[in-house]
Amino acid sequence: MLFGRKHRKPISIPVKEVKEWKYTTCNYCSTGCAIEIGLNENGKIVTSRGHAGADVNRGKLCIKGLLEHELFESPGRGTMPLMREKAHLPFQPTSWDMALDKTAAKIKEIQEKYGRDSFAVVSTGQLLTEEFYTLGKLVRGQIGTNNYDGNTTLCMASAVSGYKRSFGSDGPPGCYGDFEHTHCLMAFGSNLPEQHPIIYWRLKEALEKRKFPLIVIDPRVTMLAQFADMHLPITPGTDTVLINAMMHVIFKEGLEDKEYIEKHTNGIEALRALVADYDPKTAQHVCGIDEDRIRTVARLYAKAPAAMSIWTMGINQSTHGSDGVVDINNLNLITGNIGKPGGTSLSITGQCNAMGTREWSSCSGLPGYRALEKEKDRKHVAEFWGIDESFFPAARGLTQTDIFPAIETGQIKGLWLVATNPMTSMPNQPRIRKAMENLEFLVVQDVYEDVETNQYSHVYLPAAVWAEKEGCHTNTERRVNLTRNALPAYADSKPDFWIFKEMSKRFEDRNKIPFPETPEGAFEEMKILSKGAGRTLDISGMSYKKIEAARGIQWPYSEAQAMADEARVGKVEEFNLQKRQDFLGDSRLYTDGVFQTPDGRANLIPVRFVNNNECPDAEYPFWLNSGRVVEHFHTRTRTGKIGNCNKFSPTPYMEMNPDAAEELGIDHQSYVRLVSRRGDAVVMVQLTHRVGRDMVFIPFHFHDCVNRLTLGLLDPYSRQPAFKQNAVRVEKIDQQEAARLNLERRAF
Amino acid sequence: MLVEEKKMDDSAAAGSTAGGCGKPGGCGCATGESKKDASAGRKIWEIRTEEQAYAFLSDKEMAETNRYGQKIDLIEHTEHKLPVGRSMFINENPAVGTNPNRNKQHGFFFTADNCIGCHACEAACSEKNENPPHLAFRSVGYVEGGSFPDYKRMNISMACNHCDDPVCLKGCPTRAYTKHVEYGAVLQDPETCFGCGYCTWVCPYNAPQLDPVKGQVSKCNMCVDRLEVGLKPACVSACVGNALDFGVIENIPKNREQARVEIPGFPSPEITHPNIRFQQIRGLPDEMKRTDSMPLKYHKNENGRYQPTIDHKKGKAKHWNMARLSSRENPLVLFTLSAQAAAGAFALAFLGAQAGVAGFVAFSQSAIYAPLAILCFLMIAFGLFMSTMHLGKPHRFYRGFNNLRHSPVSREGLGIAVFMGCLGMHILFSLPANSLVQGLAGNLVNALIGVQTAGKLAAFFGYLAIPASLVGLYYMNRCYRIKARPFWNHWQVGTAFFGSMLSLGALVAGVIMVTTLAVSGASYGDVLLAGAVMLSLGLAIEGIGHVAHARDMGRAEHEGGASYYIQTTTFGKTFMLRNAMLGVNVLFAAGLLTLMLMQGASGMPVLLGWVLVGATLLATSVISRALFYVLVIPTTMPGAFFWKNKGFEEHARDIGLANMPQVGVAPLRH
Repeated sequence: MLFGRKHRKPISIPVKEVKEWKYTTCNYCSTGCAIEIGLNENGKIVTSRGHAGADVNRGKLCIKGLLEHELFESPGRGTMPLMREKAHLPFQPTSWDMALDKTAAKIKEIQEKYGRDSFAVVSTGQLLTEEFYTLGKLVRGQIGTNNYDGNTTLCMASAVSGYKRSFGSDGPPGCYGDFEHTHCLMAFGSNLPEQHPIIYWRLKEALEKRKFPLIVIDPRVTMLAQFADMHLPITPGTDTVLINAMMHVIFKEGLEDKEYIEKHTNGIEALRALVADYDPKTAQHVCGIDEDRIRTVARLYAKAPAAMSIWTMGINQSTHGSDGVVDINNLNLITGNIGKPGGTSLSITGQCNAMGTREWSSCSGLPGYRALEKEKDRKHVAEFWGIDESFFPAARGLTQTDIFPAIETGQIKGLWLVATNPMTSMPNQPRIRKAMENLEFLVVQDVYEDVETNQYSHVYLPAAVWAEKEGCHTNTERRVNLTRNALPAYADSKPDFWIFKEMSKRFEDRNKIPFPETPEGAFEEMKILSKGAGRTLDISGMSYKKIEAARGIQWPYSEAQAMADEARVGKVEEFNLQKRQDFLGDSRLYTDGVFQTPDGRANLIPVRFVNNNECPDAEYPFWLNSGRVVEHFHTRTRTGKIGNCNKFSPTPYMEMNPDAAEELGIDHQSYVRLVSRRGDAVVMVQLTHRVGRDMVFIPFHFHDCVNRLTLGLLDPYSRQPAFKQNAVRVEKIDQQEAARLNLERRAF
Repeated sequence: MLVEEKKMDDSAAAGSTAGGCGKPGGCGCATGESKKDASAGRKIWEIRTEEQAYAFLSDKEMAETNRYGQKIDLIEHTEHKLPVGRSMFINENPAVGTNPNRNKQHGFFFTADNCIGCHACEAACSEKNENPPHLAFRSVGYVEGGSFPDYKRMNISMACNHCDDPVCLKGCPTRAYTKHVEYGAVLQDPETCFGCGYCTWVCPYNAPQLDPVKGQVSKCNMCVDRLEVGLKPACVSACVGNALDFGVIENIPKNREQARVEIPGFPSPEITHPNIRFQQIRGLPDEMKRTDSMPLKYHKNENGRYQPTIDHKKGKAKHWNMARLSSRENPLVLFTLSAQAAAGAFALAFLGAQAGVAGFVAFSQSAIYAPLAILCFLMIAFGLFMSTMHLGKPHRFYRGFNNLRHSPVSREGLGIAVFMGCLGMHILFSLPANSLVQGLAGNLVNALIGVQTAGKLAAFFGYLAIPASLVGLYYMNRCYRIKARPFWNHWQVGTAFFGSMLSLGALVAGVIMVTTLAVSGASYGDVLLAGAVMLSLGLAIEGIGHVAHARDMGRAEHEGGASYYIQTTTFGKTFMLRNAMLGVNVLFAAGLLTLMLMQGASGMPVLLGWVLVGATLLATSVISRALFYVLVIPTTMPGAFFWKNKGFEEHARDIGLANMPQVGVAPLRH
């Protein structure tokens, strides 16, 4: 001790006496980080830590993951099922049997009265894969409504649609390991440091080992844009124009991979013809990126030995979302950058299990990337479940974004919401509110009783969350990873798996299907369904133990691959889980250039840009852009209650350009009222040059905020809303009144 | 193990042979004697299975001395007076860490170019240390500059810098801080702390965190538990941007090439010699602004370094904001003013009488002398009470004298306490001569002590009280001469405090003495004159200080200048009123004094004139002192838009958002 001190002072640092570490996968975003939950000798959670041996996160976690174990006992959790006759009456506590009986009876009543499709189910990307599979079985196999979708329509539908159009199937073809091999990375509307910090870290690690050019296309100067070698501040919604112009340059200068195009693609002539119209000279005036830059970037990308593109909501949430994805795929196909190390089209997904729902929930079809439209698939699944094939519709029904207008028109009378909060997440809130009031019956199944949508419900089913349950997630790079059950469900809440299973008993009068008792039982069923020649989505070689031992396995991982690995490392039952076992699924898809299309060739699809966006005008002079902040997840029902997350943005705010603000006489850190053609919202102003003079940016997490303003025009293919292209004006507001409103609208 | 460390150490010191090697590179589980069997073999920290390389410390070589010339080996620094291989007794665990460099000064390395502001470091820290939302040992703020799209934001993650010259340790009156020869960690014991918050004033980096809920300070502990097993701190291990690193100081991590000690927004390293190094190579705009409410920005100077300059965020409009004068520091406004008044009043009455001035002698022989002294005593008692109530743990007030070696707070406290003690004895020995006491219990008193003896003792203690009060006031002044608070770090603190001592002291003593003499029909002319001279002198001294302070702060391009900007805008009208009152009062007092000296003026009109001066003086003093506390802007790190933004905290408290604990703003205790 220095400075003459003689007497020792106690050093007290909180000790977490961990008796057992439980293996889990993070339940927030799609990165798929492995987390170990530390339990003390009483089975109470005392801490958590990133799993240092997991390949995805290698011990790192973002703020949300680091504090995730605090959510189990957060305020607002549902403790018991609730019921009421009318949405304006107070809730009464009830039993699970009563709540499930009532729900089943109402579903049947509505279906009998208005037809089978008059009851809709909207699920999520937040459940475990086994739960998605089970819900799909219940909805497709027993309830039999065709109006069944997930909230992934708000985030990933365009990626799914784009992949299907280009490659014949969904499934991101690349992996995080591609950062280590690429020679040029282009990020479209993807702000990794904020949205996917751990993927950003993997990119940063790769960049520190070996520098390669980073190009960021984003209308805001995000942290990633700031760190990029080239930042292209594009005009909102015009990505396809930029990409077409890049392809124009590539073709004009003969930089395309002629051999790859020749061997593995269809449609080159139509694409060449279309992009001929997109010379950089013309395109620059539409997309806002000068012709010089377009040429530089196109040449750099095409000449790189391996180049990859990543994208997130900047592409997906647009009226050209699916087209944007297709165009990115076009760019990578013509430069031969699919299925090779460092060359890929990698969609960076949103929710933790958006992939799981895409693969197994039967939302947009049938389990295991099967389609209702294919008779072979309908037959296969009907046989497997033991039901009549005719019970399945021959075409997909409404998407989430079409279900709400159908409620509006009276076509749909009843709704079951599972772990999604449309009262905050859907665009054009005033319209959604009206629609919700039209429902004859709404059942909300959620972890939180205070989820805003619950104000319209007739039955509330309290669900367990994350490690209160057991099952798998699939991450952005197709890695299936496990969450072990670490603690019992909170109060009288139940795992979603249990809820679906119990509900299925009430529909056995329609179809009697066996439902496995455990999630692992469901996983075994999925494994069988995943088998088949030429299938990419093959998980038949996996098991819970193997997944945990490997800290996640990428699909495809077939029985044959599993046997080869077992021959190499021995039987899984003998493994010490303290050490990682390399059970390696395929890192990349389409490495052989064979795609999931009928002829095995990828489709080059010409994409023509039509400007149907609500653009700023004299009356509404600002682009309204929205996005995520790192400390919050989605509608804040979880992170809004964890103080060490929430404190970094406890109330809604808006980034606004200081020059624009000065013209309007608006001060930093004052409140303003935003007005669009749909409604208004009150936010606090953060003046920053991160946004241009004609744009404002608002994080989308807050209730009664940005989605009171958004229009959300739908993409024609994916039906995903364009959250990021809307017009607003900014008005002054009485500061005290605004503060009062701000406080009133913050229940958490 | 130090032999002096008897209190808590001997059991472990005696028997530290059993079980462990206790040497660097040893097993890391050295145990104490059998008494501590329960904790024997307890791990200091459990290393994760398959832990990654980034989490481990990796210093192979190191420099002899740091850039300030201080030895990096802290055993060498202490001239080998301390043995190596001692246990740190983390959570009373006698195990000794295995880290081979545990006696080297360690520090953070921050690559400002890389920080993405993702809060992972803060979250990892808060999770490990179980901090509630309103506290954080590490915080990320940012500065930003340029215009769209040529815009740059630089995030800064900052915790404790475990300084070579820890001003917190020196300032803390309770000795809650220790700088260890292990890692050079500056650790603080929240249990010892009584919550005065002085360390939070002196630290330039806002590292110590005062918890208004628990009433104590806590801070970054360098994760010494992790260091002992060779791991980097939790925040570093959690860093997602590859910005934060840690190691033996002056070592530059792999893939890094620079080790600066300043970046835009970081206070001058000269204040404390902090153990942090920076890399900041990427170009930044010439002007970097803060998003928080601090009216400061940073401008690039001719050397390419960034200097703070005033950012006129709230325009130039002048406001009253009288209500905002009331702050958490109200008790200190009352404490300083009453202690200064008491010191001045007693000195005037006592020294006047000792000097044999007729009016003073007459008063000292009156029955009211003792009540005046008692009033002074009560004023100090009230002041001390207020300052004690200002503590997070008032019942631990006695710890305030524990750091006389370094802390001006301890010395101030001691000076004031001795003054109060001497004054008490003075009062006690003045009582026998007091006519009221004589009337009530003369016989009894006279039996105990002779009036003469008592008078001598009273004078003795009176003469002791005066220097004690001056020492107390001197250190009271030193308490505010804080480098991290440039608005205070000016000689004006001295003129204000000693000026108030003279003016308020003269006012208090004058009112009582003149009234007493006037009522008893005695002549009060010389008392009034002496009081008037002292009051005017006090006013003049304070006025000179204010003028110089305003001139210097008005020109300053640092936090002091920012305070001045707030003074002339947010409190602009209040400030002008204060100045006007002070100016008019000085002139008025000078006029009255001139009349008295030149014209021999006296009587009611003059008295009334002085009453007016006195009333104005009181109002001016309270406003001045309140401004003094609310205006100071410390050299803290830039905040973010919500977190560590004083403006938002104030707003959240005003509208009631702060009542939701997850907002991270603790409501103030009233």
